[in-house]
Amino acid sequence: MILELKNIEKSFGQNKVLCDVSFKAEGGKAFGLLGRNGAGKTTSIRILMGVFPANSGEVLIDGNPIDYNKVGIGYLPEERGLYPKKIIIDQLTYFAELKGMEHREAVKAIDYWLGRLGMTEYRNKKLDTLSKGNQQKIQLITALAHDPDIVILDEPFSGLDPVNAMLLKNVVKEQISKGKIVLFSSHQMSYIEEFCDSIAILNNGKVVLQGDLCNIKRDYPRDRLVVRCENKQSVMKDFKNSSLTEKGDVIIKLASVDEKKAVMNYLTEKYDIDSIKVLEPSLNDIFVEYAKEDK
Amino acid sequence: MKQFRKILNFELKYYFKNKIFVGITIFLVLLIAVVMFFPRISPLFKNDADNSSEQLPVMLVKAYDRDNADIVYETFAAAFTDYDVQITDSDTKDIKKAITEGDADSAFIMTAPSEYTYYVNNLSMYDMNTETANSVLQKIYQMNAMVEGGMSPDKATEVMSIQINSRVESLGKDQAQNFFYTYIMIFALYMVILLYGQMVATNVATEKSSRAMELLITSAKPTSMMFGKVIASCLAGFIQIVTVFGSALIFYNLNKTYWKDSMIIKSIFNIPPTLLLYMLIFFVLGFLIYAFMFGAVGSTASKLEDINTSVMPITMLFVIAFIVVMTSMSSGNVDNTLMKICSYIPFTSPMSMFTRIAMSTVAWYEIALSIVILIGSTVGIGILAAKIYRAGVLMYGTTPKITNIIKAVWKA
Repeated sequence: MILELKNIEKSFGQNKVLCDVSFKAEGGKAFGLLGRNGAGKTTSIRILMGVFPANSGEVLIDGNPIDYNKVGIGYLPEERGLYPKKIIIDQLTYFAELKGMEHREAVKAIDYWLGRLGMTEYRNKKLDTLSKGNQQKIQLITALAHDPDIVILDEPFSGLDPVNAMLLKNVVKEQISKGKIVLFSSHQMSYIEEFCDSIAILNNGKVVLQGDLCNIKRDYPRDRLVVRCENKQSVMKDFKNSSLTEKGDVIIKLASVDEKKAVMNYLTEKYDIDSIKVLEPSLNDIFVEYAKEDK
Repeated sequence: MKQFRKILNFELKYYFKNKIFVGITIFLVLLIAVVMFFPRISPLFKNDADNSSEQLPVMLVKAYDRDNADIVYETFAAAFTDYDVQITDSDTKDIKKAITEGDADSAFIMTAPSEYTYYVNNLSMYDMNTETANSVLQKIYQMNAMVEGGMSPDKATEVMSIQINSRVESLGKDQAQNFFYTYIMIFALYMVILLYGQMVATNVATEKSSRAMELLITSAKPTSMMFGKVIASCLAGFIQIVTVFGSALIFYNLNKTYWKDSMIIKSIFNIPPTLLLYMLIFFVLGFLIYAFMFGAVGSTASKLEDINTSVMPITMLFVIAFIVVMTSMSSGNVDNTLMKICSYIPFTSPMSMFTRIAMSTVAWYEIALSIVILIGSTVGIGILAAKIYRAGVLMYGTTPKITNIIKAVWKA
């Protein structure tokens, strides 16, 4: 299954929120939708979910306009919130039923997910008696219980402790392995880097960068080497254009990409080297570069 | 449609599981039970000691001369049955003292056959004693005059106490009969619409402020959400009214014989079935038109605290309609021009047209016109409210200005 947003334009009054936004997400892969606050991520997601229509452009599934009756979408909004004073099982079944499930199958699916996320004991409690992290896990169930084809997770890891984050990671991996389209929106770049095969960066309502994450990184000039070794000082003396990272690795800036192989050979022969590799930019670096104000 | 049913079910469950809703309903039913069973159970609490201690307030009467003391006593005692009338010879100072010290409730000190001073500690707004005393003294004066003119005292008494036999046949409605039940029904309508309308507004604003709306708008159509919520509250309000009034009717029928002397209670339970049908029509339409407005306003509030100020114009409109009806009812003229105009304005017609139907005679075409206007407006307001709701639920931050809402609705 391929989800495609094509030339989406959206304005609220005079305020142009999305300008010719296009991106593609594939089933069985995770897609990262990145952008600063107010870049247009939530609006893109709402258009994709059919909450309101775009001024122009299309949302396509496998090349055809999306049919919301046939394609199930699960959504974990950034602004978390359910009914604080209502019983958990009641509200979870309500949301699952609104998504088209029958009562019995909804209860069955929710019980499965409560068990899976270790929340069964809270089944008949009111939501506001739970901790923030646990409330978030309950909210996650509303996104997954109806077994949607597209899972949209907006800042899924915020507020989770490392154990719960690990639990969520496993759930996300499982969803991806089931061939679903998983759409991530997050400011925590490490998670995006861990899961997402491809990304799109939005800035001021425009897509400023998109594509396969490995290719994006590869497209950066490969003219810097990261060297881990014992005698750092000697290496740094040897190479004028070098610096030390916080981790204690030496970064060598090459005069040109062509001398990469020669320098690598020289280093391994002359020094006792633990590791040596081409420095790839982190997603964080890429994001900061592309999501700057003037971009 | 399926979504609408789910939302309706969920919202209805919310009311029936709400402890306050259930509590108030049970409280009202119990209260009515106590009132209705009171004449049956009240003798159980009375004993002889109570009877003897039941003392009437003392009314002192000082006649203008000793010769007339007997007749003055007799006529005063006959006229003031709620008082223990006592003839006194004390001087004014002692009488005043007796009143201020609480030994007597009030006193009439007569200085001539047609002149007296009335003494009372605190003059109540409803104190009619001077009016009664005036007619009593007039009667004595007229009787004395007749006796002096040569008529025998017996004949004079007969003339003065002539009984008039009369019959009243109201060709339209009898306001004395229908005043109380109309009052109760209008009051119930007022309370239910205002309470449930506010509940709808708060409900929508809570979903918005708790951000449950984020998930709801991606799960259900705004129109289903809006109509599901409003109709659920309408049903809940209706069920509550039926429970309270139904139990009142059952309790009344169980104790009917104990209430046979009370005209008010009898008249309350003597509601014509056609009026109940009109009540149903005006309740449902009136409720819906206001609940739609409350729902729409609720959707534009970002915080729960904003609700009270946001719903103020609607509440004011409704309170004014209520005041117009109530003043017209108590003035006895429910067919005044203002009421006639209000019977065709959809925001006021549920109460004013209903009152006119209940307490006066209204032509069928006037009723039909009023209902048609109301139905049309309810549908119109419903569509508009759904549009405002669709635009409003997505507006966060500060409460949007009216112009922004209109713009958003226009585009929706």
